[in-house]
Amino acid sequence: MNRWLNRFVTLLLTAVIGWGAWSVIHWLLVAADWRVVVSNLPLYAVGSYPVDQRWRPLLWMVALFVLIGITLLGPRRGPLQRWLPLLWIAMAPVGLWLVAGGLMLQPVSTRDWGGFTLTLLLTFGSGLLALPLGVLLALGRRSRLPVLRLSSTAYIELMRAVPLIAVLFFGQLLIPLFLPPGLEINRVLRAVLAFALFAAAYIAEDVRGGLQAIPPTQREAAAVLGLSEWQSLQLVVLPQALRTALPSLTNQAVGLLQNTSLMAILGLVELLGISRSLLANPVFIGRFLEVYLWLAAVYWLACTAMALLSRHLELRLDPLRSDR
Amino acid sequence: METRAVLQEVHEIWDNPSRIVPTLMLRTCNRLLVGATIGLVALVSGCASIDGVSESRLDLVKQRGELLCGVSGKIPGFSFLSAEGSYTGLDVDICRAMAAAFVGDAEKVQYRPLTAPERFTALRSGEIDLLSRNTTWTLSRDATGGNGLSFGPVVFHDGQGLMVPKESGIASLEDLSGKAICVGSGTTTEQNLNDTFAAEGIPYTPIKYQDLNQVVGGYLQGRCAAMTSDRSQLASARSGFADPEKHVILADRLSKEPLAPAVVGGDQTMADAMRWVVLALIEAEERGITQANVNEMVEQAQADAGQTSLRRFLGVDGALGSKLGLADDFVVQVIRATGNYGEIYDRHLGPSSPVSIPRGANRLAEDGGLMIAPPFT
Repeated sequence: MNRWLNRFVTLLLTAVIGWGAWSVIHWLLVAADWRVVVSNLPLYAVGSYPVDQRWRPLLWMVALFVLIGITLLGPRRGPLQRWLPLLWIAMAPVGLWLVAGGLMLQPVSTRDWGGFTLTLLLTFGSGLLALPLGVLLALGRRSRLPVLRLSSTAYIELMRAVPLIAVLFFGQLLIPLFLPPGLEINRVLRAVLAFALFAAAYIAEDVRGGLQAIPPTQREAAAVLGLSEWQSLQLVVLPQALRTALPSLTNQAVGLLQNTSLMAILGLVELLGISRSLLANPVFIGRFLEVYLWLAAVYWLACTAMALLSRHLELRLDPLRSDR
Repeated sequence: METRAVLQEVHEIWDNPSRIVPTLMLRTCNRLLVGATIGLVALVSGCASIDGVSESRLDLVKQRGELLCGVSGKIPGFSFLSAEGSYTGLDVDICRAMAAAFVGDAEKVQYRPLTAPERFTALRSGEIDLLSRNTTWTLSRDATGGNGLSFGPVVFHDGQGLMVPKESGIASLEDLSGKAICVGSGTTTEQNLNDTFAAEGIPYTPIKYQDLNQVVGGYLQGRCAAMTSDRSQLASARSGFADPEKHVILADRLSKEPLAPAVVGGDQTMADAMRWVVLALIEAEERGITQANVNEMVEQAQADAGQTSLRRFLGVDGALGSKLGLADDFVVQVIRATGNYGEIYDRHLGPSSPVSIPRGANRLAEDGGLMIAPPFT
């Protein structure tokens, strides 16, 4: 009796799963109209960037892709490994130069930035600003100087208590009203600053977690060896603390990438914004499902790449592994 | 050395305050003098910059050679991104017409996609010169005590409408008596529906949904005989249907939503220029001047001195453009770039376009609509 029931349940579940899978595949291959994605690929990548200059952001993205490949699959030793961190840090200024222009390249206004390029630039830019600021805030919060400690704590608690969307609204809508007429802070820069200031508070707490994981004996040992306060921080405490905090820092980076999509409701045409503009094209009206599935795939890919890179970094920094 | 001197001073004050006060005062006076000089310089430069602001935004646009135009970028038929990566639509063509008139080239526009909450801020902070973004002209947006904008002439009379399946044969509000109507709940849409039907004394059953997509869903499932929303929204929703030609939007309007371009208030020159560019589009349609025949019309006007009003309109005589701070032939530039109002409408919202909205109130006054231009004299 029991066996028959099992058989019946198995068959039923197979049928349900099979039917579900079949209808998903049928939709993907037959019912869905992928023209909205395929014919607009350059727009998703670079937005309304001038057509004859599109190679610049595309080149940057290809370089980024190659760098990810080299980092993950390249040789474990050799001179290349030594240069990799520098290459990674150079990606931000090089990307800014390629996209914004200047220095032999035709300048392109931030109004024309868009698509996945803008998403990446927002993430990169705010991440690079937020990390040092976050570390400083974390150190400030553990400082012995009361003013520094209290102001760091106040900043962190205030920022964490305010929703991100409120910070972004403040940056995009209120700041321009306070500035005198004629003075305008670039809105992409405003977005990057708002993201950076917000993320810094969270990063500070992640780093503080790392700092607290370092036993006080480490510091004492450094002092015994004659290292100054600053040297012990720089050579002993921070490297270990940051390594401990790496998984949560990755978390922040992934969150930051996802959060840039909030700028779509504030008028920046990053990946989500450009998709909504394309969906308003009468030719593609109603193709929401295709576009949002495609976006999900792109975001998933970007976040997976970040997760893999972070895992790679964790392994390389692991003191217990011999092949560092 | 400085630090030590200051410390010394502090010690001395501590020891004997009365003796040191005059010295300190002298120092303070010195500082005040320096401070006053800096303040004066700042004030003078401040005045200079205020002078700079008081000149019209139109001069700034001409100087820059480019118009910064705020659009939505997300409204089918009004402004959206085409597959080529450029913005198109009725609102966008208004921007292009302005650029053609202001700087002589319709392509010299920088579009700035704006969301509803940031549009007025962008205008007031000077991030854009002109707002052409589906904005309803209302008292509080126009008034100095409100948003303090200056609105141009209406470029699209939107309003709440009703959509019904064509095969139902419903043609007027009376035909909907006792029927069910799908509506978004808690909106002014619902209120307008109620107001109109109550005033006409027509009974109906409202079927309420949370948002427009659900309203569309309910309507397509046949749960109601009609659905209601803004007519431009009805049209764009319809263009996403599997069989859009099987649905019609009734001619009745339940509310008025006049959409108009706007500039920042208190800048008469800019506001006038914007106003007369839109009016030129309408006047050109009244006169039958189109993108195709505008050059021909100019030649005709130049050849025939008897065509006085046409000569004035096209800038052959009268120097009307200069009075607005524009080129005398700004009308010709505009029509060459975008065509007249009717052409713009047909291109984006006409019967052959994917977002087809019957012209209704947007016809010329002589055809029974609301579009009319004061004389170009």
